[in-house]
Amino acid sequence: MINLKINGISVQAEAGTTLLEAARFYGLEIPTLCHLEGLSPYGACRLCVVEIGEESRSRLASSCTYPAEEGLKVRTASERVIKARKMILELLLASCPQSKVIQDLASKYGIRRQRFRQEHEDCILCGLCVRMCKEQMSAQAIGFHGRGNKRGISTPFDLKSEVCRLCGGCIHVCPACQLRCTYNQPEEAICGGCANISPPCLEKEKFHDMMCYMDPCVACEIKNEK
Amino acid sequence: MIKLKNSQALEELRTELVSRRQMYSAVITICAGTGCRAWGMEKTAEMFTAELRARKLDKQVKLKMTGCHGFCERGPIVVIKPDGIFYQKVKPEDVKEIVSETVLNRRVIERLLYVEPGTGKKITYEKEVPFYSLQQRLILDDNGAIDPNSIDDYIAIGGYCALAKVLSSMAQQEVIEEIKKSGLRGRGGAGFPTGYKWEFCRKAKGDIKYVICNGDEGDPGAYMDRSVLEGNPHSVLEGMLIGAYAIGAQKGFVYVRSEYPLAVRNIGIAIEQARKYGFLGENILGAEFGFNVQVSRGAGAFVCGEETALIASIEGRRGEPKQRPPFPVQKGLWRKPTNINNVETWANIPLIVKKGADWFAQIGTEKSKGTKIFSLVGKINNTGLVEIPMGTSLGQIVYDIGGGIPGGKQFKAVQTGGPSGGCLPREMLNMPVDYEKLAEVGSIMGSGGMIVMDEKTCMVDISKYFLTFLLDESCGKCFTCRKGIQRMLEIVTDISEGRGKLNNINLLKELAQVVKDTTMCGLGQTSPNPVLSALRYFQEEYEEHITKKKCRAGVCKELVSSPCQHTCPLGTEACVYIALISHGRFKEAYDIIAKDNPLPSVCGRVCSHPCETKCRAGDAGEAIAIRALKRFASDYAYKQKYLPPKTTSSYKEAKVAIIGSGPAGLSAAWSLAQKGYQVTVFEALPVAGGMLAVGIPSYRLPKAALNHDIEAVKNSGVTIKTSTRLGRDITIQGLKQDGFKAIFIATGAHRGKHLGIPGESAQGVIDALDFLKDINLGRKVRLGKRVGVIGGGNSAIDAARTALRLNAEVTIIYRRTKAEMPALREEVEGALDEGIKMLFLTAPGRVIAQENEITGLECVKMRLGEFDDSGRRKPAAIPGSETIIPLDTLLVAVGEEPDTSFINEELKNLVAVNKTIVVNPETMATKEPGIFAGGDAVTGPATVIDAIGAGKIAAESICQYLEGSPIAREYSLTRPSVYIDPVEISEEEMLTARRAETKTLPVKDRICSYAEVDLALSKEAAIKEARRCLRCELELLKKDEGKKQSMEKASVN
Repeated sequence: MINLKINGISVQAEAGTTLLEAARFYGLEIPTLCHLEGLSPYGACRLCVVEIGEESRSRLASSCTYPAEEGLKVRTASERVIKARKMILELLLASCPQSKVIQDLASKYGIRRQRFRQEHEDCILCGLCVRMCKEQMSAQAIGFHGRGNKRGISTPFDLKSEVCRLCGGCIHVCPACQLRCTYNQPEEAICGGCANISPPCLEKEKFHDMMCYMDPCVACEIKNEK
Repeated sequence: MIKLKNSQALEELRTELVSRRQMYSAVITICAGTGCRAWGMEKTAEMFTAELRARKLDKQVKLKMTGCHGFCERGPIVVIKPDGIFYQKVKPEDVKEIVSETVLNRRVIERLLYVEPGTGKKITYEKEVPFYSLQQRLILDDNGAIDPNSIDDYIAIGGYCALAKVLSSMAQQEVIEEIKKSGLRGRGGAGFPTGYKWEFCRKAKGDIKYVICNGDEGDPGAYMDRSVLEGNPHSVLEGMLIGAYAIGAQKGFVYVRSEYPLAVRNIGIAIEQARKYGFLGENILGAEFGFNVQVSRGAGAFVCGEETALIASIEGRRGEPKQRPPFPVQKGLWRKPTNINNVETWANIPLIVKKGADWFAQIGTEKSKGTKIFSLVGKINNTGLVEIPMGTSLGQIVYDIGGGIPGGKQFKAVQTGGPSGGCLPREMLNMPVDYEKLAEVGSIMGSGGMIVMDEKTCMVDISKYFLTFLLDESCGKCFTCRKGIQRMLEIVTDISEGRGKLNNINLLKELAQVVKDTTMCGLGQTSPNPVLSALRYFQEEYEEHITKKKCRAGVCKELVSSPCQHTCPLGTEACVYIALISHGRFKEAYDIIAKDNPLPSVCGRVCSHPCETKCRAGDAGEAIAIRALKRFASDYAYKQKYLPPKTTSSYKEAKVAIIGSGPAGLSAAWSLAQKGYQVTVFEALPVAGGMLAVGIPSYRLPKAALNHDIEAVKNSGVTIKTSTRLGRDITIQGLKQDGFKAIFIATGAHRGKHLGIPGESAQGVIDALDFLKDINLGRKVRLGKRVGVIGGGNSAIDAARTALRLNAEVTIIYRRTKAEMPALREEVEGALDEGIKMLFLTAPGRVIAQENEITGLECVKMRLGEFDDSGRRKPAAIPGSETIIPLDTLLVAVGEEPDTSFINEELKNLVAVNKTIVVNPETMATKEPGIFAGGDAVTGPATVIDAIGAGKIAAESICQYLEGSPIAREYSLTRPSVYIDPVEISEEEMLTARRAETKTLPVKDRICSYAEVDLALSKEAAIKEARRCLRCELELLKKDEGKKQSMEKASVN
């Protein structure tokens, strides 16, 4: 067993576990978007960063890929970590404002504004689908192409894949392209409508298709009761 | 070739090779590096081969194609040995002469020698060229000595000796200890101690281990690794062999990018040759050690220089980094322990083994040992590769080795470490370059790229460039790297296009910090460095872009439109009047000038023309002669007796007083009169014009030209009262009582500073400004035969040239060198042409006088030392170098200060310690309501154009004050007011057109009169010159037009 300190508490972890696994085992919450049990760690979304090392020489590392080391000091929610996470969420929100998962996280971290030019992308390139397809479905139908901001996910040469069995695993794990909050005005990052006393989404028919950042929201509860 | 069985055999081979080489009487080495190939060395080399064969010299004279010599600016480079005669820029037609003169008769051909730019001295031998002599070329020296495709050459200079030593007499751990002791650190950028890395890898568990040579050099402007691989591939191989032996690796990879075809070819040949001699394979030199090397070609992704991405690339996967740990020394290539070092690091290893760790450790600084190769590129005279000991100062690299900035431009910054590095300003020129110091100031060593930037480089634009590069080269795996860089680029682009807001800077900093903190690999973690360092040292420039819509370098297109108009303190539409001149519409051209500038004839002659410095035609050729064109237009108006039409708007009651009729006063008066105010200018001297009338000699600015401009100002409704001095004839209080609602003080800087040396009060020591004033006012001046002038500014040159016209023998004494003289270039050259002597690096010590009459000046020699904050070198006295210069008169021109003695008790708080008047530089308003000030009285001695600019700003503020609105300055994007069709130019004209030379009076006619020295352009010459203009503003007009149209379209839809 490896002995380390997380948030000042002495904990033990089995050799080969990551910091994320160790922290979660002890009930410490670390948000992730590109991590899923059963798929290999990837370290792309950077949301799971934690502060490691001695105070004066500490640095941030993604906990999903960092192995538990003997005597390591880890802080999962230090000021530096929270500051970084908030900025990452703000960036995510600016790119994929309609993802429910991202909206929920943003809400949780108290993000009330978004200072970048609004985009409407439906992918954060977390790579869950690629790994799902390869590691769990043994299909390898999709992969990455391009580099930098031209990076994307598709089948080889953008042709209809012969190995894809249309299992839907890729969509199932996706944090961004799942059902979206259709109420949300495209130009507004956060709808916030449900925080009103009489939420506007109440007036919509198929409310359960909607995504909003208060989960579950007042409106949903009222509707469900009816 | 035979396989060498042991080190004995290697030594025997070496002795034989050396003796075989002695049969040549001469060796001609031609640099065959990529730089010299681009200069066309291949043709030159063919000519040499043909010529030697024709003269049947090929048995006696060896022609050797070597690797890069480093001095790429001067290629193709040819060095004739054994003498080491250095020829530069050798063309095929020079070959015959070189063979017959230099090779056969050891005669030097003067015209092919390198000429030192500062001194004009010709330098014969390679080792004496300052570019080389100031370097310590441990690694690069061999590049010029050997043919990279000949292993025999390498063995002959002692190659593979270090390997033999290691295999025959050193244990593995001993080698590692030696490298550790040497203090060698990785040359790829991060600077990890090499010996320790080897030790980790050696101790890592596993039978199979690898060593890799990282030759994926991708920084823009960096090419030292390429040159080493191209020029001396065996040194890299030998280093890898030694490393592999110490670590226990059996296989090595050389990872080179495909964009380096010559490097790929040369390292491939080297591997083949080494294998034939038995340096690669089993039982190397009889030892129980086997090793093989394979070349792996990269596809040119920048991120593949990162070690985990590089490993992925060799394995055949996407070149993407992986989170460390595990480190490659634990689990690297195919999950086996792998040691990766950079090309230059490997090339250092044989040297350390051969000469010993102690020898190596004494080079460099405490924590950074040895030498480092930098590729010096950008705005620098001597582009090339320089190898210097760690700890050499940045200034030495840029100025002593690099030869300074071309075109006499100002040094602005140097960018080290490529896209991951930072920009260091001129305050850092004294900084010794090593790993620690660079990190401390916010940059990195990187692989050693050094991009020099001059005043025409915009820091916002540079950040934009590097971010664009990184956005493209980021692998895109990490969210914060991919999106973070994109967002930073968006913000910087907004700023450079005039859409920025001040809080953008904080957002940029906040974002940059997070990107630095949270990304996975080195590329992402260092990607904010160009932005952060630019903000650290040049935040002011960012703010200027945002608040003032100003790009001081004249680069950011959307703000600048055309750099000439943008740079002019008056916003004169140079591009427009040049276009009008090119169409022959001279009167309209004059109107365009006169619209913004009340003194066109003056500015056409004495303006310091910042517009020409920033002119884009000067980037890759010669700047447009804008000042000469302005003079042409104003001369045209003068000859036609044409005054610009009066454009006074509605009559206004309020009276404004202007104190001083210099450029600032006249321009404020003119601007206010145009707005309809009642303006009176009060001038202390009997003539109007201030410094223009009494400070500038009439051979530069004829009185008739000045008076034409003053006439135009008067014509706009201004009254000028001469011989009325503030404090003597009028007072501020009195003016207020007389009903003047606002007062603008523009009294200039008329009092010369003192030298502060003993004996200064002697008779015959005259203030240069007083001297010029007396001459200009026609007063009598007593001047001796031998006249000395102290100073290097325009006043000094003016005084010297005026004294010369009074039959004196004139010597200018200046404490720095010609390059540092603040005077206008053309003035300095004019003075030299007229026969004025100049003593540089000479400072006055004391005035020698007899009976209080000057007889001479004791001077001391200076040398240039460290750099000051202005980026110039501080002169320091050389003790014991005192000499006496016999003089009859000494004119002192070491700067001026305002004479503000007229300010009474009540307004005393307006004056600063240095006697200038304190104003808000944005509005020219003083603390006292209704009182404004501008020009030299505020700034100290400055240029004419700045003073005119200040006058115009003050006029705006006075207007706001009188209307009762808040005083604030508004800024907008620079745009021309009218569109003028471009002229059609044939290709031939485009290729042959040269800058119009300003003709001058012959020297013999000049020195006996005050006739104007510079002659006007002829009509034909002016039109021809104007046709050369690139019309920068048109590009944007087209763009603006497109934007407007698409907006209209959108609104219709």
